Amino acid sequence: MTTETEIAGRLKPGKRYDSESAIRKRRRQLFDRLARWVVAAGGFTIIASILAIMVFIAVEIAPLFRSAQVTQISRFGQDKLSQEPAEIVALGVEENQDVGYVVAATGEVTFFNLEGASPREVVQIAGLQGESITTSWHSVRGQRLVLGTGAGNAVVVRVSMPSTYFEGVRTYRPAVIPELRLTIDDRGQPISKLAFSGSADERMAIAAITRDDRVIVYLRRTEESLFGDALVDSLVATLEPIWSGRPTAIAIDGSANNIYLGTDDGKIYHWRASFENGPEFVTVARNSNNAEGITALTFLIGGRTLVSGDAGGGVAAWFLVRDNTATTGWRLTHIRDLKSHPAAVSTLSPSARGKGFISADAVGNLYLQHSTSERFLTEFHSAQNAIAKVSFTPKANGALALDADGFLAHFAVDNPHPEAGLNAFFGKVWYEGYDKPDYVWQSTGGTDEFEPKLSLVPLIFGSFKGTLYALILAIPLAIFGALFTSQFMHPALRNKIKPTVEIMAALPSVVLGFLGGLWLAPRIEQVVPALLTMAVVLPLLVLAAALTWHGVPKRLKNRLKPGVESLLLAPIVAVGIWLCLEMNGVVEGVLFNGDFKIWLYEAVGLRFDQRNALVVGIAMGFAVIPIIYTISEDALSNVPRNLISGSLALGATRWQTALRVVLPTAAAGIFSAIMIGLGRAVGETMIVLMATGNTPIMDWSIFNGFRTLSANIAVEIPEAPEGGTLYRVLFLAAMLLFVVTFIVNTGAEIVRQRLRTRYQKL
Amino acid sequence: MKKFWKSGDPFVWLTGGALAISLLMIAALMALILYNGLRQFWPYDLTELHLKDGNKVLGEIWDRERIPETDTDSKQAQYRIRVKIGNRDLYSLDFRWVDESEIERRFEPEHALVLERSEWGNFYGYFKKLTFDGTTIADSFAEGWPELQRRLDDMAALHNDIHSLEKGAIDEINSGLEKLRLQLRKLTMGSDTTDVALALEIAQQRAEMQSLRVRYDAREAELSSLYRQSERGVLTMTAIDGREKDIKVFDIVRAFRPNDIDFWGRSAVCAGKIWEFVSGEPRESNTEGGVFPALFGTVILVVMMSIAVVPLGVLAAIYLREYAKQGFWVQAIRIAVNNLAGVPSIVYGVFGLGFFIYAVGGTIDQFFFSEALPTPTFGTGGLLWASLTLALLTVPVVIVATEEGLAAVPREIREGSLALSATKFETLWRVVIPSALPGILTGLILAIARAAGEVAPLMLTGVVKLAPALPLDGTFPFLHLERKFMHLGFHIYDVGFQSPNVEAAIPMVYSTTLLLIIIVVLLNVFAIQIRNRLRKKLAFSVF
Repeated sequence: MTTETEIAGRLKPGKRYDSESAIRKRRRQLFDRLARWVVAAGGFTIIASILAIMVFIAVEIAPLFRSAQVTQISRFGQDKLSQEPAEIVALGVEENQDVGYVVAATGEVTFFNLEGASPREVVQIAGLQGESITTSWHSVRGQRLVLGTGAGNAVVVRVSMPSTYFEGVRTYRPAVIPELRLTIDDRGQPISKLAFSGSADERMAIAAITRDDRVIVYLRRTEESLFGDALVDSLVATLEPIWSGRPTAIAIDGSANNIYLGTDDGKIYHWRASFENGPEFVTVARNSNNAEGITALTFLIGGRTLVSGDAGGGVAAWFLVRDNTATTGWRLTHIRDLKSHPAAVSTLSPSARGKGFISADAVGNLYLQHSTSERFLTEFHSAQNAIAKVSFTPKANGALALDADGFLAHFAVDNPHPEAGLNAFFGKVWYEGYDKPDYVWQSTGGTDEFEPKLSLVPLIFGSFKGTLYALILAIPLAIFGALFTSQFMHPALRNKIKPTVEIMAALPSVVLGFLGGLWLAPRIEQVVPALLTMAVVLPLLVLAAALTWHGVPKRLKNRLKPGVESLLLAPIVAVGIWLCLEMNGVVEGVLFNGDFKIWLYEAVGLRFDQRNALVVGIAMGFAVIPIIYTISEDALSNVPRNLISGSLALGATRWQTALRVVLPTAAAGIFSAIMIGLGRAVGETMIVLMATGNTPIMDWSIFNGFRTLSANIAVEIPEAPEGGTLYRVLFLAAMLLFVVTFIVNTGAEIVRQRLRTRYQKL
Repeated sequence: MKKFWKSGDPFVWLTGGALAISLLMIAALMALILYNGLRQFWPYDLTELHLKDGNKVLGEIWDRERIPETDTDSKQAQYRIRVKIGNRDLYSLDFRWVDESEIERRFEPEHALVLERSEWGNFYGYFKKLTFDGTTIADSFAEGWPELQRRLDDMAALHNDIHSLEKGAIDEINSGLEKLRLQLRKLTMGSDTTDVALALEIAQQRAEMQSLRVRYDAREAELSSLYRQSERGVLTMTAIDGREKDIKVFDIVRAFRPNDIDFWGRSAVCAGKIWEFVSGEPRESNTEGGVFPALFGTVILVVMMSIAVVPLGVLAAIYLREYAKQGFWVQAIRIAVNNLAGVPSIVYGVFGLGFFIYAVGGTIDQFFFSEALPTPTFGTGGLLWASLTLALLTVPVVIVATEEGLAAVPREIREGSLALSATKFETLWRVVIPSALPGILTGLILAIARAAGEVAPLMLTGVVKLAPALPLDGTFPFLHLERKFMHLGFHIYDVGFQSPNVEAAIPMVYSTTLLLIIIVVLLNVFAIQIRNRLRKKLAFSVF
């Protein structure tokens, strides 16, 4: 470069040699290098970002499988809250985790700021009448507190901590509102364990264990009389002591009808309590964990799943399952074991958000677990000694634990997706109210207490069912069509036919879905027998046409281009289809007793959905046929000419050549065509969304609907809040689709490239 | 016979049969859409049916089908006809079935009128009287018909006035008010209340808002006076069952006497209807009127997508083919990119929702549109995100086509250019890319054809059933990238599957389908033509 400039300098001024061009050349070369850099950087970025789609989706999914994070925010002694610490019998936190409370055995409620552990107000519970509190029960959301006293009474109160928010400052006005005072034990024995269900102003039940091991059930209902007065009706009954060991834990389910008693010899007894008959014993179930004694029982939110903890550290979930041999038709069944503690379980605290809970043991371990997903989310610790009480905050994002030394520990819980997990997505899960473990997709329900059923298996099944039926129709039509076009058709004709089929590939799937769902489905319903006859009649008709053609003089045949057969066949096939449709009624009458749907139900036991797999198969066939056709036609027509000529020269017929020479040579290409068609069918959204009923059932019947992964995303993602479990599960579904289609297409592409090199060698 | 089987011809014919069925399926599909898509525009005769039970029916005969044998006792084939009876406000149904055996007499009454209304669908009936400001100006058909035509023309002018007032002045004032409200909120948000200059500015903005409100009230008064005018002309019609119905002339979109016009008259009505379909606004929750906003939305979406996809795709392809070192990795990337074209479109929709809308859009909102929060501006579906999602979906198509185009440029040409001392980039820019242009164009057209028919990803990224405004209009900045839009494909899904009166909506869906297919097929034919020409021109190509 420099030399050129020097040369330029030595040249005569005013005369244009190459000086200008030298500068220009430098500029050009600079520009060229710049362009190279820009294109490389730009191109690389674009390709990387396209490929980053997968990474982004994976990042969205990752939190589903992450463990919960629990951090201890503070730990302080009970003495910080009060000068004369008495035994704490209950504790709780409000939903913003600013204010907590502890209830002392004396009936003193101390509200305190969690930050700094400074006491705020001290309130005495009204209605205790000087009795000491011996035990307590509190509702899942932590508002209702039921206290058992030393004189055999129960006091129901509501702990309310309403807050107002003004200019960035939150102000609380905590209060304890007395609701009821009830006499449980007329012998006046202290109550040692207590359970409550229902509400104070409608129907409620209390079950209590007294210090002398009697179990007392108290039922109460309030009805409004004609004059608007409240009529209160109550019933107290002491249970027949049919249990073998000592009673240790008690719980009542959400309906306030079923009472469960745990004993120290590892049994759970079930009574049904009604006003009409009082408590009736139903069944007894054994703890599966070496018959260890039950130490704690609690219901998860919704009041259907019972969680038990035992002396050996075992934690198990139970609920009522339909069983006709039981007297009530339901039997308490052991559903699953959750992660065991190394020591006896001391207390259980259910979450107010979903079916999770905290279990704590006698050596200071706290486990965060989830029943439905069977996930052990994390463990955390307060101290090395027994945890006496745990309270899960109302938003399930924090916990307050009390240990045996009177120390309180406040934890922050970050547990966004407890209901997720591989088992929840791909395993059989036993859901509340089901007879057995099953694959179910039902992501949202009406209430907070709903148990989300997030099995992707029915959706994967649906995707493959739709694909299968589409391919059953498409593969023979497309491949035979391609074989005919490539081998037996005049090129001039072929050049017209092929683009026509290719255009079919561009038909928007929403159009196919619309026609499938609204035009085809109601018509298919009428003509299933005709479709069955078509499968027999059409091939016969084609053979008959071939036979006729066989008789046509050669002279006439030679005047037509080869391949016209299929065009001649079109009207024949059309007439055949029309005939079959006309004969539909007759066939239905003869073969199916006049009504196919009734026949199907009575003879085979299958239901007939209007929007079913058959409709989807045909509609999706339209989308898949052109893809398979085009690619396999390419593979077939690229089979080297010399192979075919050789075969024909050896005296093979054109059919023998096609079947024995051309098809095997192009087999790999046809395989890749099918793979690509499969990839398209698996991910197809609009057709299945519109042409099936979108019910996530698992049933191979061609006359039933299904729901695919893709349609499921389209249906549910508008209602899934960003960052929620459902949102991420739908991302997981998208990821599955991505991975499946990507693998299938890559496989097909590699096969196709191999084929190309093989043809070059032949 | 044996020879016949041995020749293998039957099998050849069977494969031919498979092709025939495939072709027949396409033909049937196209015929079905064409027939159903066009028939609703054609003014059919109005037939009056007198039934044996004394009832009368007036309407268009739409279908005729055999009654399934199970429903009747007789062995002889029985037929029934489906009549479009219209008058949704009176009968609440648009169609009814009439058994042919029930019909006593059928004929085409000369004076039967079809009124297309802006609400409640068509009205079929007879002229009774025409009143203006409460006074009857015509009570016979002979004088009423020409009078009605005149009034209809007046009302068309009134429609125009109202439309231009609503969409022009009032919309402008509204958007001005909204802008001021947001500015005000930005000013007051988290600022020092004692700042004098700021207080002054706020007061100024408030005053401006007040003046806009005054202007708004004036326009509003103007509008209501126009609406009062629309109440003046009333047409009273008699339905076939004798009930009378008052219809505001203003509400009548079109009136004609199908039984009294000849073929050319019908064609004119038909052309008018087709024009209204393509250029009009939807009515009756999209089941009637036109699809212009959806058509416009489809077109602008595709245009936006093309603007995004071409530079990206071409740049990536040039990098892959011309600059990247060819080897295993580039080959692997090539296959991967190729296969992205086969990834289901809903996956791209999910990505668009998660990445563009929530991640990017949410961040943009936080920084630039914080005054409008919690109402999202870019943090919700819109034209920009939908077109970018589609661009991502179609970029593999463009990359592959461009690469093919680049590969087809012969070595000699490049070497010639290099030998003449052109740099690599100059060779690329002046020689290679122009020769590869048809390939790039084919890629683009294929991308457009694919994008025009895609619906699933749009459902997640910003398509709506009824958009209040077009994404392109006269107010600054003219192209509103954050706006939601309508789309022909989604229109089909929504009207066909989500509308309350599916039966009445289906003809509309067929017409929309036809329009969409015409667009997509034309684009594809165009692409195939270009590709074929390219192949012929560059006979040395590798494919």
